[in-house]
Parts: sequence; C-alpha cells; structure tokens
Amino acid sequence: MTISAERPTDVVTTPPSINGAVRRGGWFSQHLGTALVAAIVGYLFGHWLGNHVAGNYPVVVNSGVNDVANFFGLLFGVIGWLLGIGALNYPLAKIAGRSGIEKTQDVEGFSKYFRYSTDHKTVGLQYVIGVCLFMFTGGLLAMAIRTELLNPTIHVFSPGTYIEIVSEHGTIMMMMATSIVLGPLGNYLVPLMIGSRRMAFPRIEAFSFWIFTAGYMVIFSALPYGGFPTGWTGYAPLQNQAGPGMISYLFGFAVIGLGMMTAGFNIAVTIVNYRAPGLTWSRVPMFVWSILATAALLTLATPVLFSAGLFGILDRVDQTAFYVAEHGGSSYLWENLFWFFGHPEVYIMALPAFGIVAEILPVFCRKPLFAQKVGAAGMIGVALLSFFVWQHHIFQSGINPDMRPLFMLTTELISIPTGFIFLVGMGTLYKAKIRYELPMLFSLALFFNFLIGGLTGVFLSDVPVNVTVHGGFFVLSHFHYTIMGGLLFAFMAGLYYWLPKMTGLMLNKKIGLWQFWLMFVFFNLTFFPMFIIGLLGQPRRVYTYAKNLQGLNDFSSISAFILGFSFLIFAWNLAYSWFIKPQKAPANPWDSLGLEWQTATPVPEHNFDRIPVIMTDPYHYSEPGAQALADLGGVGSSTGNPA
Amino acid sequence: MTDTYNKPGVMSNTPEEVEFELRAHIGSIWTGGRLFIGMYTFMIAALAFSYFYLRSSNNSMEWRPNHVTAPTAYGWAIYGCTAAMSLLAIFGQSRLRKGQVADWLVAGWTAVGIGLLALFLQLWEFVALPFYPGSSGYASTFIGFGVMNVITLFVTTYWLETSVARAHAMKREFGAGAVLAKTAEARSWRANVASMTYFQGFAVLVATMLLLMFYVL
Amino acid sequence: MKNGEVNHLRRMGNAWIVISVVADLVFWFVVGPHVPPGRLTEAAKNNQMDFNILMMVALPVLLGVWVYMGYSLRVWSAKRGGPEPVGGPAAASNRRVQVLWISITSVTVLAAAVFGTVALIVDHGSGGGEGPNPVWMPAGAAKAETAALAGTASWSPGKDAVLPVQVIGQQWKFTYRYPTFGGFESPDLILPANTTVAFNVTSLDVIHSFWAYQLSIKADANPGVNNVAFTETKNPGQFVVRCSELCGIWHGSMYNYGKVVSQSAFMNWAQQTETANAANTKLLPPFAYTYTPDANGAAGGLYPDGTVTPYNSSLTYGAKQPAS
Repeated sequence: MTISAERPTDVVTTPPSINGAVRRGGWFSQHLGTALVAAIVGYLFGHWLGNHVAGNYPVVVNSGVNDVANFFGLLFGVIGWLLGIGALNYPLAKIAGRSGIEKTQDVEGFSKYFRYSTDHKTVGLQYVIGVCLFMFTGGLLAMAIRTELLNPTIHVFSPGTYIEIVSEHGTIMMMMATSIVLGPLGNYLVPLMIGSRRMAFPRIEAFSFWIFTAGYMVIFSALPYGGFPTGWTGYAPLQNQAGPGMISYLFGFAVIGLGMMTAGFNIAVTIVNYRAPGLTWSRVPMFVWSILATAALLTLATPVLFSAGLFGILDRVDQTAFYVAEHGGSSYLWENLFWFFGHPEVYIMALPAFGIVAEILPVFCRKPLFAQKVGAAGMIGVALLSFFVWQHHIFQSGINPDMRPLFMLTTELISIPTGFIFLVGMGTLYKAKIRYELPMLFSLALFFNFLIGGLTGVFLSDVPVNVTVHGGFFVLSHFHYTIMGGLLFAFMAGLYYWLPKMTGLMLNKKIGLWQFWLMFVFFNLTFFPMFIIGLLGQPRRVYTYAKNLQGLNDFSSISAFILGFSFLIFAWNLAYSWFIKPQKAPANPWDSLGLEWQTATPVPEHNFDRIPVIMTDPYHYSEPGAQALADLGGVGSSTGNPA
Repeated sequence: MTDTYNKPGVMSNTPEEVEFELRAHIGSIWTGGRLFIGMYTFMIAALAFSYFYLRSSNNSMEWRPNHVTAPTAYGWAIYGCTAAMSLLAIFGQSRLRKGQVADWLVAGWTAVGIGLLALFLQLWEFVALPFYPGSSGYASTFIGFGVMNVITLFVTTYWLETSVARAHAMKREFGAGAVLAKTAEARSWRANVASMTYFQGFAVLVATMLLLMFYVL
Repeated sequence: MKNGEVNHLRRMGNAWIVISVVADLVFWFVVGPHVPPGRLTEAAKNNQMDFNILMMVALPVLLGVWVYMGYSLRVWSAKRGGPEPVGGPAAASNRRVQVLWISITSVTVLAAAVFGTVALIVDHGSGGGEGPNPVWMPAGAAKAETAALAGTASWSPGKDAVLPVQVIGQQWKFTYRYPTFGGFESPDLILPANTTVAFNVTSLDVIHSFWAYQLSIKADANPGVNNVAFTETKNPGQFVVRCSELCGIWHGSMYNYGKVVSQSAFMNWAQQTETANAANTKLLPPFAYTYTPDANGAAGGLYPDGTVTPYNSSLTYGAKQPAS
C-alpha cells in the first residue's frame, strides 16, 4: 500500500500563483554587467569619500597611505555590487512593507545564470562555476610557488612577490574550500534529497552566492594594493605593519564570512524545517547530515572571524589597538579569535567530504551503508569537538602551558568520531559488489589520502613531536592531505556523480579516468615528499631552503605541475562533455536509490510535482522487494520496478 | 524499486500541501530567529572575549590608564533607548496577541523612533569620546563595541520597522482585519513578529551586559 | 560460517599482523635512529623517541586500513562476479563490530594523549615555548633566571648550573644575549655541552619563531613576551636556527647556525666575547626579558602619559606576568 491512497488525489492543475512581479529580462535589467558597473562606481565613490574624510589626517599625510579611502572604496564597491545585481531590491522594498512570502519569478533562459536567481538549482550551478574560478586561480598561484621552490638559490620571484603569492594562494584556497561543497552541491541537492520544493530563504541563498563572488574580487584587490605578507593566518602585529593590501585580506574575510554565515543559515534552517513528511531524523541521508553539521559550524564559528576582521580593520582604519601589545592590546588576541574560527573551519572542509563519500559508497557497493547512525553521530561529534581544539595551532606560541595537555587531549579525541567515518566506509565495503566508476574511485582515494592526513594529525597534536613539525612542511603536507586529498577528491567524486543530474549530460569516463589517475598519483607524489621535507627542517612560506633538500623539492614541484595538469584535464572534460560531444545522461545513471534521482531531469523549477512522502530508510540496496524510498504521488511518474 | 519521473508535470497545490509548506515556512522563521540569535551570540562573544582577555592581560599596563570611561550619560541614554525599544516591542506583541492591533502599531512606531534615536546617539557618541581609539585596551574595545552596537541597533530597528510597515501594507491591501486573519500572509507576518520580539529580548540582554562592561565596571 | 567458505577477516588479519610487525621492526631499527631532530639534546632525544613510538602505533593502523581496503577492492569487485551482496539489517549495522571499533579507537587515542602528556611534563616542556610562566622547569632553572635579571648570575664549567640565554628575534635576524657574561649580545649562538639551557625568547617587532632544529627547540618570539623553553645539550655539534613563523618579506632568509662546544671552549669564547664587546654592551639597554616600548612612551609609544606607572617586566619574573 502506498500512502498516496490516503492522500486526496484532486490535484490542482493550475500553475501556482506568483504574487510578485515577473522579473524583466533584457540588457537594462539587473545582471552581472550592471553589478560590475555599480561596483566600480561604488568603489570610486568610497575612495573619494575616504580621501575627503581622512585626506588631511596626520597619519595619512605622513605615511602617504590612506587606509580609510582603501577601506571605503572596497566597502562601497561591495555595496554597489549588491545593489547592481539586485540583492538589495527586496530588503529596501521591505521598508515600505512588501510581503515576506511573495515570490518573484526568475528570468528564464541562459541569462538567469548571470542574475540574482532565487532558484536553488540555478544558485548551485552558479556556485559550481564560482568555486571553480576560485580553485583555478588559487591553483595557478600554487604552481607559481612550486616554480619558485625548484631551486634554493635561483629565484623566479622577489621575496616580496613570493610572500604575496603564498598569502593569496592560502587565503583564496581557504575561502574557496569553505564553500566548495556546501555552495554547489549543498544548495543544489539538499532540497532534492529532503524532498522539498524550495529553500527556506531563497533570497538569502542568492545573497550568499553574490557576496561570495564579491569576496573573490575583494581578496584579489590585494594584488594591485601590493599584496599582504601575512599568509592566510594574518597574524598581528605583522598585520598592523603590512601595507594597504591587508585591508583587502581583512575585509575580504569579513565579506566571505557573511557569505558563509548566510549560506549555512539558509541550509540549516531548510534541513530542519522542509524535510518531506516521513523523513524522520533517522532516515536523513548522510550527505544531508554532513551538510547540516557543516552549516551549524558555518553559522556559529564564522561570526567570530567576522568580529576579528572588524577589529583588524578598526586597528588599521581607526587606529585602535586591539592587536598592539604596546597600547594595551594583544597579538595573542588575534591568534585566539582567528583559530577559534579557524579550527571549526578545518572541519567545515572535512565534513561535507565524508558526507559525499558516505552517499556514494552504498551506490557502488550495492550494499546498505554500514552503521549509518554511528556515522551521523560522528559528524555531530566532530562538529561539537571542533570548537574545543583551537589552541593546538598555538602550542609553541607561549600560551599558558597548563592548557597544552588539555588541548592535546581534545585534539586527539576528535580522531574518535573521525574514525567512525572509516568504520562506515570499511563496513560498507565488506562483502560488497564494488563497481569501479569514477565517483567510486575518487571516494576510495579520499579514504587513502585522509588516512594519511588524519594519522599525521595525531603526530601534530602530540606536543613533544609538535615542537619539530609545527610551522614546517610537515604540517603543510598534513593539511593538504586532509583538505585537498579529502575535500577536493570528494568534491570531484560529487561532481562526477551528480553533474549528470544537474546538467543532464554525462561526463566522459575515459577523460575522467585520465584525470583521476594523474590527480591521485601525482597528488601523493607532490605531498608525500613534503612530510620528509618538513621533518628535515624546512619551515613554511620560505623562498629559500637548505641545498640538500633540492632533490625532494624538485620532485615535489614536478609532481605538482602534473597535478595541476590533471585539473586542466578536468576543465577539458567539462568542455568536451558539455559542448563538443554532449552525451545525454540516463535518468538514473548509477542506479541510485537516492531521492534526488527520482525527480525528472532536468529538474523542474518546483523539484517535485507533489511533495514526496518518505516511507523508509535510505540505502536499501541489494534487497529485492524492499519498500520504495518515497511515494512521489504518482503524478507523471512511472511507478514500478525498473530493475 | 525506484520511482522515477519521466517528464515533469505541473506543480500541485492541494490544500494539505499548501498547509505543509506554510508550516515549514513558519517553522523556518522560528528556527531562523533562534539561529540568528546563536550567530549574534558568537559575534558578541568575540567582543566580550576581547574585553576580558585584554583586561586580564593588561599589556604594558595599558588596559585602562586612569580608568578612562566613555561618557556615561551617552551610555545610559543609549541603553535606555535600547531597553525602551525592546520593551515596547515586547509589550506591543503581547497586545497584538490579545487582538489589539492599534496598540501594536503605536508601540511599534514609537519603538522605531526610539531605535533611530539610539542609533543617532551611538553615532554621535564617537565624536564625544574623551580618548583616542588606540590610547588603551579599553579604548580599542570600546570602539569595537560602538561599531557592533551600531550594527545591532540597525538590525533591530530595521526588523521592527519592516514588521510595522508590513502591517500597514497588509491593512491597505486586504482590509482592516488582515493582520489577525488566518491567511498565509498574516500567519507568516505574525511568526515574523514573534521572532523579531524574541530577538528584541535578546538584544536588551546583550545591551545590559555590554553596559555593565563598558560603562559601569 | 559454512564449511568451505573463506574466512576473509582471518585472512586479512593474518596478512595485517605479518606486515605490521615487519613494518614496525624495519621502522624502529632502520629508520627510527635517524628520525629528526636527532640526538643532540635531551629534548631532541625524547622527541625522537616520541615520534618513533607514535609511528609504532600509526603504522599498524595505516596498514590495517590499507590491507582491508586492498583486499576488499580486489576480492569483492563486481568484475569478478560473485553472489549479490547481502542487504538489510545484517549489512546495515553490527553492534559487536561497532562497539569493538569505538572501544579500540578510544583506548588508542586516550593512550596517545596520556603518553604525550607524560612525555611533555617529564621533559620539562619538551623544548616547546612555555610562555612567561613555565610550569615544568628543570632543577635550578628558576634560580638561574632570577639571578640573570639581578645581574648576579654566573656560569662556569663543571658547576652543573643552568645557563640562561636570551633569544631576540627581529626582522629579519636572531641575536643572543648572555646574562651570565655581562649581558653581551652576539649574532652567534654558542652553547656548552652537557648543560641545561633556558632559552628566553622575545621579539622586538612582529611574531617570529625560534626554531633550533637539532636542539628540538621551538618557541614563538612575541613582542613584549618572554617565551621560555628548556633543554639539556649533550655532545658537541652544529645546529641550524630558522624562523618558523611568517614574519614578513625576508622570512625565508632568517636563519643562522649555532654550535654546541665543550664547556671549556664555551667559557673561553664567552669570556673573550664579553671583553671584546664590552664597549658595545654598555650602550645596550640593561638586560631584561622583554624590550618593547613601555607605557611612558619610551621607545615609541604613541600616547605618552606622565602619570602612568612604568611597567618593568624585568622586575616581575616568576610572578604572573601579563600577556599570554
């Protein structure tokens, strides 16, 4: 029996009424172009205003640097960008009393991707392009770093340029990695997986994407300002000493922070409230669990970064002394605030990866996910514990030594819930029937890489060993293993797995295999030697190193170039599979039971004709005669077993 | 085993589906309001942490030389306005629950006015400070507090104003009883007012804590 | 388990035990003695031991997962056919396996934390910076540090006293002051063998990190803060000092070399340098644990205020110091 028998079948066939105006298309409506123009106008206005206000301050006259103008320029630039794209239309109209629930219909056609769209699927695809832009620019900078490190004495870049490159690379990658899964896949898939026809706050969702792109431009504005020399950690007092590019870093993080908060806020609220009937918490798929944990971390940890950035901007623009010990501030204050955000952020980058892998494994093993509840508990555990470990980043900084055993303990405790994920993965593989499709290969690579990353994390958390490995290439390699080896491989798995759903086109398997093997092999060849380089005494962020380390560094560099090339193959695969030889994707290419595969492709604007009713747990693979996951209401569907 | 659509149909809107989505929407406003308070708590916590951290470190004996204090008259005035705005909003909502829409509107508009006054005072206080921003740890955190208070006052006043304005718009569009009706519009609006009022209560707690930290202690 | 069916777990287990034992033995005897940071000091020796013991645990874990995954991927691949895998509750969870996994990981992790804590305390901070108020000090360290400030500290060969050395980081070099020899400042770091050394690390500008690699010392140099780290040198040898906290453009060039020499050679060098530098030492500020501008605006404070009591960090050693 299906529940639809109990549901009234008098389906209203008239299209849903849309109270708001249908948005106009055309060149003179709001889109990327108007946003750019408004951003430039805003920047110029802000810069003029800053010069007008602070141009004759002694500090400005004496130093020749007007941080007020630089900051106002960026601030008004971002406001202009938001105005130009249309993000502020509704908040402004609201002052006059416009409705909270009326919906504005999006512009149809390809140009919707360049507009302020409130459809979560459009936003998801916008995010795909957005994070890829971040990733490719950050990756190019990584290539530049490895080029410089080819030789300890012959330099390609000046030390100043090198520090700029390193700092930009770190900051861009960290900003990108916070949103790389939650943005594209989270926004696109969460409503489909929980059987919802909409997001809780579509305007906030769209806002999160467009402020994210604003953050991209703000962080890049550091380069014409001469960059910033602090790396992505932005330690004070170097932060106070740095040039005007520092404003771009501080403000950029605050802007991206707004994007992270709003994105997390919207998704968390959606998951809590918009789950379809029958989707109890024990039935929620693992990917949704992971996104919920991530969203919770984003909304709660990022405000601290926002505050820290605000204080940093005040230090520079208003000459306060938050981080200046001589005037009653403290450089430790920044370290604590930054890492209080910074450590949860690390798990913001790990949890969605676990979620993707847990979602993909059962499909390609044809087995139910092993110990699903333990896995979900592990994610919540990681999320909670991640708020209590931040001081392990500053073990040797002169913090109160009594705190070190405590933070060593909490840090090592966090490997218990992380271990749950391995339990889930290994249990699912047991006596399975494994299909080696691309998403599966990338998922398996995550287990390989993350294991190395996780185990080296235990070395780092041990304070005595930390003396040698802190601040060197060892820790650098460790977090590349977790973030790139974990998150980025999972992201690739997710793209190969879900892009056919999102675009309706398959990605080429042969090119994908090339990409996978190059990426996997040369990722390990790039970063594994760095553990040894670090143990042999090379600190991070240096442009010169001991001569006897040249062999290892060169090996790592050349591998890195091939690793970079593998991303070009990915770009080629996108171009090939989308434009050169498009191949239509079947409705359910991987034979998944997930709810997201059961709606039509391309997904209609309202996702599901009727609100589905969830009837059982997910992952009933390899169970002939198992109950269907959901009752979709039978409208326009072919109910039955396609087997 | 799977139940796959072949072609997209038309979105159905049975009464129970409409009701389900409306409830989810109202639930979202409830959850969102609480989550927003959570976010805000962490933001304020960063300020409070900075305050107590710098206070207890007292680096270079420069936490608060000579116990400099921002003008307390401004402090109490701003606090008074904040508290009055929040209490009025809370009072207004309790009247609204009893069906006294007019009371709510009067309380709401008064509160908006007081909120704007508080915002103005907070901005004006910056030019009346007896210390330079970087002269001490206290001075620095005070500036940070001031900026955050501007943000907080802006957010609370904006939220309040949009709720009041919406009530007027609804009356204009749907007639006098619209605010208390059982329509989706009105239910959504009342949920929003409830979340807003809750946030106002939170804001006055935060304001009390910060008043004690920066003007009294 | 039916007859004739392969016991997969036992197979994996056997392979895992063999490989792990071999890997552990190879690592312990072949690689272990060469693991950085070597054995130049007590801290280095202990930290090497620590690393190796963690490795003994980590290798079996790593190999366990690899053996399991490798075996599964080979044996249970769809290409090789085989029956349809079991589904349902049996495959979805297994309480025994879950409890076992959680217990094993928890015990391992707690053991690692306890071990790390013991190693940290027994070795007086393991060479890491302990901040201005170190809680784990070698015998005699507090006395020597206090005496250094009063200008009454002395060190001579064979007396087994703690040698306080100050490390001053600035953009972009390290210099060293020896309070037991009149507080002279030198660009060279020379240490006596078989001596307990107390490094007092501070900075004049931004945050640096004093990383004496082979000594296994790492302590951030913070302006206005005295970050103390201890170790006991062993045999004579050479070591490299690098800055391991990003400190600006020339961070990569901030390194120099130091030496551990015999006690008598050190005494000679110190006395000679003290005499040679005497004229310069007079011009230096008196030895103190921090050198940042104080509240009176000396050395660059922006808002001088005559009524403020000057803060003298040199007078407060041992008492709770601000910062950190």
